[in-house]
Amino acid sequence: MTRKKVKLAYITNDSSRKATFKKRKKGLLKKVSELSTLCDIKTCAIIYSPYDTQPEVWPSPMEVQNIIAKFKMMPEMDQSKKMVNQESFLRQRIAKSEEQLKKQQRDNREKEMTQVMYRSLVGEGLHNLNIVDLNDLGWVIDKSIKEIDEKIKSLLEQQAVPPPPPPPPAAAAPAPQVVTMTSHASRTTKQDMFNDEAAVRNTITDLATDSSQNQQWLMDLLKSNDNMCFGRNDDMLPYSLHTNNFWSNFPFP
Amino acid sequence: MVKKRASIGRQKIPIAKIPKKNHLQVTFSKRRSGLFKKASELCTLCGVEIAIIVFSPAEKVFSFGHPEVESILDRYLTRNPPPESTAHQLIEAHRTANVREFNIHLTQILNQLEAEKKRGEALDQIRKSNQRQFWWEAPFNQLGLHELEQLRASMEELKKNVVKQANKILIGSTTNSSQFLAVNGIGSSADLFENKHAEFNASSTMPNVYNFGYGNGLF
Repeated sequence: MTRKKVKLAYITNDSSRKATFKKRKKGLLKKVSELSTLCDIKTCAIIYSPYDTQPEVWPSPMEVQNIIAKFKMMPEMDQSKKMVNQESFLRQRIAKSEEQLKKQQRDNREKEMTQVMYRSLVGEGLHNLNIVDLNDLGWVIDKSIKEIDEKIKSLLEQQAVPPPPPPPPAAAAPAPQVVTMTSHASRTTKQDMFNDEAAVRNTITDLATDSSQNQQWLMDLLKSNDNMCFGRNDDMLPYSLHTNNFWSNFPFP
Repeated sequence: MVKKRASIGRQKIPIAKIPKKNHLQVTFSKRRSGLFKKASELCTLCGVEIAIIVFSPAEKVFSFGHPEVESILDRYLTRNPPPESTAHQLIEAHRTANVREFNIHLTQILNQLEAEKKRGEALDQIRKSNQRQFWWEAPFNQLGLHELEQLRASMEELKKNVVKQANKILIGSTTNSSQFLAVNGIGSSADLFENKHAEFNASSTMPNVYNFGYGNGLF
């Protein structure tokens, strides 16, 4: 089947119009038939064209009569409720497509502002944002905080059952894990960091850090505003988990 | 975040009654709409008149007719030729013009929709590649408790700065910005988020209370 883009207007060329009519009528009736079979329902079609004195009907004149009769027997409201002509049908499609467009735009905006949020977290300034951007950014941050809170809550509920982990500085037991992490950390690819079990990471961070230490990291991070190049040079990010420097700052035993 | 699962794509199905009820209903809905669309196109392209009646699985009735379902049914039942009054032709001409307008409008919207979808996919790609690089961009489900608390603290700070920046823009910043900086742990970096390109709105009559009504952007 040729896939030329057809302009949706009356075809002025007579032979072209007749040919199109033949093809499309055939396709249309095929679709009616398929719908009828696939969904096990009653359907009918009536087509008046300049090429035939008699209307073409599907499936058969008898069946069409039956269906029209059944149709007319329904209450007027039920008949007209889902009745459309070209105008109303197009209006419906426009309304639906506009809804889809709005939703897609909203989703894209959320994605966009989420990226701005992450860039801002690592130091990119807010001075490029106008008031509308800031508004939306605030919304995205609030949403993220809410999701984080939920996740924290569920993690705490899980942790409530097992006994709390041993306090730092730890004995020899955690040491093997530390060694493993460091060897991982020396690799330059971030992929590894990502793939590591969150549990192992958790243990390490629990042992090695305290919250004030982390706040300090964050404050340094927020301060060094203009020097931060997001994503361009991994070494400049304080969360440079791949360098050994990171680990040397923690009070390992 | 909203994640849409990739659909299965076009599949060839046997032409027989669909076994699963919800598949059947979805198929009905989509195909009925597509059928009416094709019928509408045939009318516009070839100047023909059509009526289609469809009974839904739930015994509701859908119908499409050009110019009208009723007139086509009457014409068929009574075997009468169609009326050709000038009033009738005028109505038809008006209708055709409307339909043309609607089609143009619809095409516009569909093109925009297509563009936005592509943009969404591009944004997803960026997010994906960022997630591979930076642990804090990972979905929250994959983060440990400590990381989450860390992240949360960062976000709280960021939120405060956002509010400050917003206030700055709304109220204007001819004076130094220190009067707006609350001392809340950010330290002495008064030049932290100083707006070097401050949009000073001299005629602003907004009150000092910043209203985070999320109705300005798209939210």
